[in-house]
Amino acid sequence: MTELMAAPTSPSLGRAVKAEWIKLASIRSTWWTTLAMIVLGAGFTTIISGVVAGDIASGKSHDSPGEYITQGLIFSQISAVVIGALVVTSEYGTGLIRATLAATPVRSRVLAAKAIVVSGFLFVVGTVTAFLGYFGGNGFFRSEGVGISLGDEHILRSMFGAGLYMAGLGLLAAAIGLLVRHTAAAISIVLALVFIIGQVVQLIPGTFGEWVMKLMPGNAGPGIVVPVPFGDHMLTPWTGFAVFVGEIALLGLAGLALFQKRDA
Amino acid sequence: MIRAQGLTKTYDGKNAVNGIDFTVEPGRVTGFLGPNGAGKSTTMRMILGLDAPTKGSVTVNDHRYVSSPAPLREVGALLEAHAVHPGRSARNHLRWLAASNGIPTTRVGEVLELVGLDSVAAQRAGRFSLGMGQRLGIAAALIGDPPVVMLDEPVNGLDPEGVRWVRSLARQLADDGKTVFVSSHLMSEMALMADHLIVIGRGTILADSPLQDFMAEHASAYVRVKAPQSTDVEALLVGRGLDVTRVDDELRVQGLDAPAIGELIGGHGLFLHELTLVRSSLEDAFMELTADSVEYHARTEVAA
Ligand SMILES: Nc1ncnc2c1ncn2[C@@H]1O[C@H](COP(=O)(O)OP(=O)(O)OP(=O)(O)O)[C@@H](O)[C@H]1O
Ligand SMILES: [Mg+2]
Repeated sequence: MTELMAAPTSPSLGRAVKAEWIKLASIRSTWWTTLAMIVLGAGFTTIISGVVAGDIASGKSHDSPGEYITQGLIFSQISAVVIGALVVTSEYGTGLIRATLAATPVRSRVLAAKAIVVSGFLFVVGTVTAFLGYFGGNGFFRSEGVGISLGDEHILRSMFGAGLYMAGLGLLAAAIGLLVRHTAAAISIVLALVFIIGQVVQLIPGTFGEWVMKLMPGNAGPGIVVPVPFGDHMLTPWTGFAVFVGEIALLGLAGLALFQKRDA
Repeated sequence: MIRAQGLTKTYDGKNAVNGIDFTVEPGRVTGFLGPNGAGKSTTMRMILGLDAPTKGSVTVNDHRYVSSPAPLREVGALLEAHAVHPGRSARNHLRWLAASNGIPTTRVGEVLELVGLDSVAAQRAGRFSLGMGQRLGIAAALIGDPPVVMLDEPVNGLDPEGVRWVRSLARQLADDGKTVFVSSHLMSEMALMADHLIVIGRGTILADSPLQDFMAEHASAYVRVKAPQSTDVEALLVGRGLDVTRVDDELRVQGLDAPAIGELIGGHGLFLHELTLVRSSLEDAFMELTADSVEYHARTEVAA
C-alpha cells in the first residue's frame, strides 16, 4: 500500500481548487457546453460579419464593423450560465455536496474554489471564443476592404472583456444556483434576467426606468464586450462592468451566508 | 475515536436526535443499531459537520471535524445518500477526493482494487448497480486510509458475497486498530459484525454495551419443560431455587441447563414429555427494546 505522504497540517485553497477543477473537467456536459459556447459564439460572429460586410463596404449601411465583431457572443452567454449554474446545482441534485463538504469542511473555501475554477475557465473560453469570432468575422470585413485590426481602439479590451463578462455571468449563475439549489430554476432565472427582464424594464417610463434598465446585470455587464456600443443609453464599459461585479458580489455573499447556515 | 456529548438535532421542532452521549472506541467494530428514522444518519451527518447540532457537540479524535486540515485522512465515511455524480467515472470521483486532501493519486488505484471496481473504474458511476455504487462509496471512505471509518448502512443493496466482504472489511479495519462505526437497522447483521453495540430509538440511546453483554442480557434463554405431572415438577424445580414461569401447560425454567433439569426430574421418578432449550433471538430482543421507539409502525388492517 502507498504510504500516504505526511498529512497536510494546514488546509489549503489550492487543493480545493484542484479538486474542483477535476470535477468540472471530468463531466462530459462541461465539454459539450464549452464546444457550443465556442461554435455558436465564434460562428455567429463570423456569419453576421459575412452578411453585413458588403453593405458596410458599399456604404449602404452606416454601421461599423466593430458593432458586429463580438455579436455572436450573445449566444455564448447561455453556455456560460449553464456551466456556472451546474457547478453548484449539480452537487445538490446528486447529493455530491455532502462528499464535497466532507472533503473540504470549511464552506467559504469550497465556494472560493468553485468561484476560482468557474471564472478562470469561462474567462479563458470566453476570450478564445471572442478571438476566434474576430478572426472569422474580420476575414469578411478585410476581403471587403473594411477590415479592422487588433490594434484598433477598444478591440483588445473587447476580446478580454468577453472573457471577463462570461466569467461574471458564470459566477452570477453559480450564486443564483446556491440560493435556489436547483439546476433548471437557476438557469431559467439567470437567462430570464439577462434576456427578458433586462429588455422588459425598458417599458418602465421616465428616468427611473432608464436607470433600472442600465443597471440590469445583462445590460451593465456586456458593455466591455462590444468595441462600438449600439446606441448611447448604456453605462460606459468599465462603469457598467463594475456595477455587474457589484451585483455578483452581493448575490454571492447572500449565497455564502445561506450556505454557511444551512445543513447540507 | 468519536465522542458525542449531549448531541441534539431538532428539525421543525421535532427532535431527531435527543441529547445523546456516546463514545466510539478504536480497535473494535461499533454497531449503531436502530429502526428507521431512529436518528442514525442524522448523528453521522453531525459527526461530519454536514448538519449543525442544535445542542451539544461531537468530536473526532478530540477535535471538531470541521477543524481538520485534511479530514479524509482522519475520517472516512460512506453516507446513506450516494454522494456521487452519475456522469463522473469512478476513477475521477476518487481523483478529486484525493486531490482535495493532498492524497497521492496512486491511492486511487489501490482503493479501486480493494473494493473490486478496478475493471469498471472508467465507467460513469450512474451506470453502476446499487452494489457497485456502495463499493464506490466504501472506496471513497478508505481513500485517505483514515483511522476512523464510518459506514451508514453499508450492506444496503449488496449481494450475500458483498455482505460478507463488508463484514470482513470492518473486522480487518478494527483489527488494524481503527475506529469502525457501522449503522444498520438489522440486529442479525450487527450480531455478525459488531463487537460493541449502541442501540438508538427515536433519537435516544437505548443500550450501549459489548455485543456479548447485550446478547446475554437481552437474548435470554430458558428451558421449556412439558411434563404430565406438571404441578409436581413445578414444585420440585421451585424447591431447588430455580426460576420457573408457567405458560399454559409448559414450564419455562431458568437457572440450570437442560440435561441437569432432565436428570433432576427423572431422578424423582417423574416423566418428561419435552425438554428444550429455547433461545429468544436477538432480533426479538431488539424489537422488544425498540418497540416503543419505532417511528413508523406497519399496520395490518383487519377487515371487520
Ligand atoms: N433534513 C431533514 N429535515 C427534516 N427532518 C429530518 C431530516 N433528516 C432527518 N429527519 C428526520 O429525523 C429523523 C431521523 O432520521 P434519520 O435519517 O437520522 O434516521 P435513520 O436512523 O438514519 O433511519 P433509516 O434507518 O431509515 O436510515 C426522522 O424522523 C427523519 O424524518
Ligand atoms: Mg439512515
